[in-house]
Amino acid sequence: MDEGKRPGGLTALAVINFVIAGVGFLGILGMIALFAFVGEIPTEGMDETQKAQMEAFQDMGLPVFIVVFGLEAVSSLLLLVSGIGYLKQKKIMGWAIGNAYAVVAIISSVVSAFMFAAELGGGFNIGTMINLIYPLVTLILLNTTFKDDLTN
Amino acid sequence: MNLKTLTIRHTRLISLCWSRYAVRSGSGLVYLLIALIFGLTVAHVLITPVEQLIAEQKRATGKMDPPLVREAISEIGQPVIQWVLGQKTLKEIMENAAERQRAMMNDPNNASLAENRRYDGSGFDTWVNFLIEKRPALLSAIFLVLLFGMPFVVSFLAYNQISGDNQSRGLRYLLLRTERSNIYFGRFIGTVIFSTAVMAVIVATITFYLGMKTRIYPAPALAGWAVCGFLALSILMVPYIAVCSLISVSVDSPFLSLVLAKLTIAGVLFMAILGSYAWKPAKYLMYALPWGWQCNLLHPEPAHWLGAVVACLAYAAVFLMLGYYRFERRDL
Repeated sequence: MDEGKRPGGLTALAVINFVIAGVGFLGILGMIALFAFVGEIPTEGMDETQKAQMEAFQDMGLPVFIVVFGLEAVSSLLLLVSGIGYLKQKKIMGWAIGNAYAVVAIISSVVSAFMFAAELGGGFNIGTMINLIYPLVTLILLNTTFKDDLTN
Repeated sequence: MNLKTLTIRHTRLISLCWSRYAVRSGSGLVYLLIALIFGLTVAHVLITPVEQLIAEQKRATGKMDPPLVREAISEIGQPVIQWVLGQKTLKEIMENAAERQRAMMNDPNNASLAENRRYDGSGFDTWVNFLIEKRPALLSAIFLVLLFGMPFVVSFLAYNQISGDNQSRGLRYLLLRTERSNIYFGRFIGTVIFSTAVMAVIVATITFYLGMKTRIYPAPALAGWAVCGFLALSILMVPYIAVCSLISVSVDSPFLSLVLAKLTIAGVLFMAILGSYAWKPAKYLMYALPWGWQCNLLHPEPAHWLGAVVACLAYAAVFLMLGYYRFERRDL
């Protein structure tokens, strides 16, 4: 199937991929900065909830941080690559990497829910479901609606 | 207008293809994502404080007390719902809150939640009482926000029913096989089917989460109210989709159609609100669309909710017929 016949939905999926990847990379940078300076942030003016969040972040530990943000970085990278793949309607770069992103993002959401403290939004809550929407929609669409469009 | 050309078989085929095609064309995909994220974010914002309250209660007493949680939700939700339903202004709500604060400071021993309601001024209104006492209040609050917000979102799905094919002149090939009426009404019904399916997913997800995770309301009450909320949201979308149909047949550019749909749906509401500050009767402008009626879809009195349903369908019929009148006569 040539590029001229790319369905609008696939283009929309690619654009959304780029937007989410951009937000993901910015989020990773922000969290790295926060993790680096977390010990130096004064907690005097904070209320109880904010203090609890800050303490939970300090107690998180480097291994958990590496696992969670490693998964986040990988899924952002996969989003970027699969977005290009969707535009070019590539089998490997689009369909395969897109599916890989969906699986990694679902694992990342589940891992975050289990590894983050409740103060940091951990545990299964409706936020976890929001995080799962896009990977699930991607997984479904790539294997049904757009299955025959990613063949180059 | 020639509605005699309308055939059920053609309309059914076009509507089913259109609802399936919605995701593939992009507009359905964008709507699906925006609607899901908006719906679940609204639920997240409203449910999270309740979950924190439950967690605090469990920490303090070792167990959760659903009646106490429900009472706290009612206490917080009552002024908000009164404001949303237009029964009280923000000023009145602030005055009531200040009065209650003063009463609590003068008599701290008498500060139970139930006692505080006496200082509310008008007491419980039947409608507010129904939404927060007789029905799961948290679900009522979510439905009220969704009733307000979803009309803004639905234009992402419905803006391109005809305009894209107008622009590409693609409709003339379809007209070899069927009539204009079947295309117009088939696509409208297809859009309604897709919108209804998305509403079902959103309401089912929120209700399932509330039932399984928070466990503050009995399952039958949640399920019953969820069905009512789903029906209210689904019916409300129909006139707004019809407005988009009218706009979509009138312009040749999908982007212009989206912009006009957004401006019309939001503009009517904001012009009514802002205009009423300068000239009181301007508030009636909101009746140009169902904005003025739509909260009645969650009213306890059958006369009110049935009236709102009929009004929604009447709006939809008027907009649809105007759109069809234009579609029948325009050059394709």
